[in-house]
Amino acid sequence: MKILESAPYRYDKGIKILTLGKIDKAYDRLVDPIKKDDKVLDIGCGTGMLSFRAVLKGANVTGIDINPEMLEIARKRSEELKIKEKIEFLEMGVAELDHFENDSFDVIMSGLCFSELSEDEITFTLNQVKRILSKEGQFLLADEIKSRSLFKRIINWFLRIPLVIITYILTQTTSRAIKNIEQRITGSGLVIQSRKSNFLDNFVELIIIKEGKK
Amino acid sequence: MRISYYIYYGLVTIVETLMRMFPFPAKTGYQRIGNPDENSPVLLTCNFHLTILRLKKATRGLNYHLLVANSKGINVWCAATGDSLNNHSVVSVIKTSGIEDKVNHKNIILPQLAAPGIESKVIQKRVGWKILWGPVDAKDILDYFEANFEKSAEMKQVEFRFVQRIEMAIMWIFLAAIVLMPIWGPLFKLEAAFLLAQICLIYFLALISFPLFERIFLKEVEKKKAFLTLGNLVVFLINLVYASIGVVLYVVIYQKDYSWMLLRWCIVSFLLVLLVNMELKGSSSTYKSDSHADKLFDVEIDLEKCRGTGICVDVCPRNCYVLDTEKKKITMPRKKYCVQCSACIVQCPFDALYFMNRKGDIIKPETVRKFKLNLMGKRN
Repeated sequence: MKILESAPYRYDKGIKILTLGKIDKAYDRLVDPIKKDDKVLDIGCGTGMLSFRAVLKGANVTGIDINPEMLEIARKRSEELKIKEKIEFLEMGVAELDHFENDSFDVIMSGLCFSELSEDEITFTLNQVKRILSKEGQFLLADEIKSRSLFKRIINWFLRIPLVIITYILTQTTSRAIKNIEQRITGSGLVIQSRKSNFLDNFVELIIIKEGKK
Repeated sequence: MRISYYIYYGLVTIVETLMRMFPFPAKTGYQRIGNPDENSPVLLTCNFHLTILRLKKATRGLNYHLLVANSKGINVWCAATGDSLNNHSVVSVIKTSGIEDKVNHKNIILPQLAAPGIESKVIQKRVGWKILWGPVDAKDILDYFEANFEKSAEMKQVEFRFVQRIEMAIMWIFLAAIVLMPIWGPLFKLEAAFLLAQICLIYFLALISFPLFERIFLKEVEKKKAFLTLGNLVVFLINLVYASIGVVLYVVIYQKDYSWMLLRWCIVSFLLVLLVNMELKGSSSTYKSDSHADKLFDVEIDLEKCRGTGICVDVCPRNCYVLDTEKKKITMPRKKYCVQCSACIVQCPFDALYFMNRKGDIIKPETVRKFKLNLMGKRN
């Protein structure tokens, strides 16, 4: 099945086309709360688009992903950027987040990863995030979502179809949108501190914390 | 209820067979089949929609727990060899589906064809579950349960049966039809219909001629470059006869303006026949291409590392291996039936198996485990 062969080296390009270039700006905004010497976990780091941004802000980053080829690219890039000692890439899935100890990360972030997970995996991940995030920590999430407004969903649908086809032909990359992510986050006991989405409501950036401020 | 189920089953089978080239993802996670208790076996399968449907139909009446792992909507064998159904999918579904609270054992039965993608050693280490390689076909699961989880040689073997080959041919024809339609004109135009019929039959003849071909011209096949052989010539002639019958029929039925159309028809027929014959064997899934035989990889045994555990015997879908119990070494008497699925290489606990081509290039087991069959062509 040649058509389904993975093509990680085209992934970045594919995502940029799919999101019409807004991904770079969104990721820049997303890593904004990260401070120097923070311990950061990047869930589904892929080729390291988010991880490197966090390292450049001075953080120590652990990136996890299940695709060894993507990680290979990420490792190569970290050598080129000479930040090898500040970043660590591990080949593991969200199901193995239970290997990390309680409260071990100041910031957990995830870009375009939750949309790849199954419902069980999302529940599991959110519970683990709640456990391994430090008390004052933040969980930064950027992903494609299905809008709650039917009208916007229909517009998105029409806009997306040609984009998906073109991107798939050029780069064999595609992405999916998730439903009801916000309810699921609050349902698992985390609190959404801020929410930013674009006009069409198909891409969301969330800052999530463990408990509401008293 | 019964009738509606059969109508649904039939429709899904038709649609998903025609579109088989594309993934059909189903919901992943835990499912109860029948009325299982905490001692019932646990089975795992991919999330290709048709697979789950067929599995449930074949195992009606049995009680077991089913885990549907994420294979990106692709069938078990393709997903396993293409790294879509891998260790992560299995670890993830075991840990996130809550199965550990539902049963009091840690044995999981996987389809044997998942062996190229999933390492039983890794699953044992990460989650402590023991993998049993079940039968290839879902219809054998009933017998497999009754035989107390022992597989017979038939249950282990992939046969590439006639029906399955037709299924694959239908998939290709449907795709070709979609691609060719806009170029060739509207759907029911006679010309297009003839062309499609011809493609079907040429491909069909090519496919069914292989077993015969193998039997009659076996000696030639073993030559290094068997490109212009008697066998190829015979199949070529059969197809050419059919193509010319097509041309004659076409001219008789569709009489007007045939002067240049006849020429076009001849050219297309000839090209089609030539194309199919050039890679006659390479275009099938059961046989290997002749045109670049020295670049193809074969499985080799490192007898010094082999300790005769016989795991390769258990996972080989072509029954290539036989264990020499006296010497405690593996032998490969049916090597020519190997389809290079890499299952044995991935599973061997002592790295005793590897890929090597006739030029002497080697692909090590760790490379196969990492990339599966994704990089067979471009690795250097």
